[in-house]
Amino acid sequence: MNALLRILSLPAQLLTKVPGLGPFMKVLSTTVGQKILMAITGLSLCGFLVAHLGGNLKLYAGEQAFNDYAHALHSLGPILAAAEVGLFATFALHIGLAISTTALSKVARRKDYAIKETKQGIFILPNGGASNWMMLTGVLILAFLVTHILDMKLKANPGVDYSVATNAEKVIDNEFHAVKAVLSTPLNAVIYITGIVALGIHLSHGVRSALQTLGINHKRWNLLLKIGGILFAWGVAAGFIGLVVWAMAYKG
Amino acid sequence: MSTHLLNLNLRVWRQAGPNDQGGFKTYRLNGVSTHMSFLEMLDVLNEQLIAQKEEPVAFDHDCREGICGMCSLMINGQAHGPDNATTTCQLHMRRFKDGDTVTIEPWRAAAFPVLRDLVVDRSAFDRIISAGGFVSVNTGNAPDGNAILVPGVRQEVAMDGAACIGCGACVAACKNASAMLFVSAKVSQLAILPQGHPERNARVINMVAQMDKEGFGSCTNTSECEAACPAEVSVAHIARLNREYLRASIFAET
Repeated sequence: MNALLRILSLPAQLLTKVPGLGPFMKVLSTTVGQKILMAITGLSLCGFLVAHLGGNLKLYAGEQAFNDYAHALHSLGPILAAAEVGLFATFALHIGLAISTTALSKVARRKDYAIKETKQGIFILPNGGASNWMMLTGVLILAFLVTHILDMKLKANPGVDYSVATNAEKVIDNEFHAVKAVLSTPLNAVIYITGIVALGIHLSHGVRSALQTLGINHKRWNLLLKIGGILFAWGVAAGFIGLVVWAMAYKG
Repeated sequence: MSTHLLNLNLRVWRQAGPNDQGGFKTYRLNGVSTHMSFLEMLDVLNEQLIAQKEEPVAFDHDCREGICGMCSLMINGQAHGPDNATTTCQLHMRRFKDGDTVTIEPWRAAAFPVLRDLVVDRSAFDRIISAGGFVSVNTGNAPDGNAILVPGVRQEVAMDGAACIGCGACVAACKNASAMLFVSAKVSQLAILPQGHPERNARVINMVAQMDKEGFGSCTNTSECEAACPAEVSVAHIARLNREYLRASIFAET
């Protein structure tokens, strides 16, 4: 177990030993710096979520509007590709740091308590609230992300009939119908809603936690930040779940 | 309040030395007065063990009035027991009921190795303090009182950090065994006051580096430390440490 944890903690330790990258790497060479990078990448991914949801809300505007948006996005070509590379790098950093800092923290405890209780109040989620669910929800989100890319980007889900979205040359060109085809199968609806709920839980701690890690904590703002973080998390989640419900209910 | 006598089952971690495997041993202790402090109860247990020609249980303690930071103990899964803002020595047996089983463990952290039974080595904290938790002062004549002006509000915030007694409950309670609350309290109290400014940048960089070197975990902002802290040190200090760290890393001249 300890050997495994040591292997998992290698990225974080390697990060501390990369020479020549100057002051930037020095900032990130400590646990505090790595958490700051977690916070920055996490908040960046929140920015992506907002953009992604904003674009997808065009589904409500109908077939023409959504397809126009999808084609406009795809016609960006190299710009889109560069953005996707950046997005993947952000995901990879966030996930890699999550695994390595968690592994290091497990090593830091060395031996678990026979009994562990908390003095914190009651949480909606058992086991100390969303902050103790970050790894589990993170893994769920990652699994969902892989499924989501297979479904929507690669159009490779064998359980989905993509033919409604293909044109005469058998090329998928109607993204509106493709999205609808994916979301309207009951199994996918369950998978998508599960993934989005995991995202909501993850963000309900993540946003506030990221701000705290970046040093934003003041008694004048704390209540607002706490409520704002939770509203953001469940606002984004509700927005995406709404699209799944819409797709299942959509006729025509 | 009338005195009640409790009969307790004590499940105590026994470990002969740093390299011993260790394990729980259960003792029956009868006639415990509810007026006793938790440490006095352990004293009585040790009297009983000595009378039975067994090794007494080793545990840390000193002032027994909640200010020295020597006492520790994970009591039924709670650092310093079930009460808020309380050290183990201030915990009284009236918090327990007759027939209770009380599980007592040492702090668990790689950076706090168990020396014997319930005693852990917390010198990692001392080394973090040595790395930067100090100010430099001129020797010679005593300076004029109030020669350096410090606004009252800042004094209060600094004092909130300085309230830390260095007991290690934050590390013990944190699921990551992170020392961030301790380190942040020590960085904060000196970062806020003008007397701490000459070493301000080096302090946070060196103390964080030493914290990592000791093998403490990282902070996931669960606030478990704040809830467990007998001195009620707030996680607002952790945010200040993060600010100090960013400031020192990005803007410091050296």
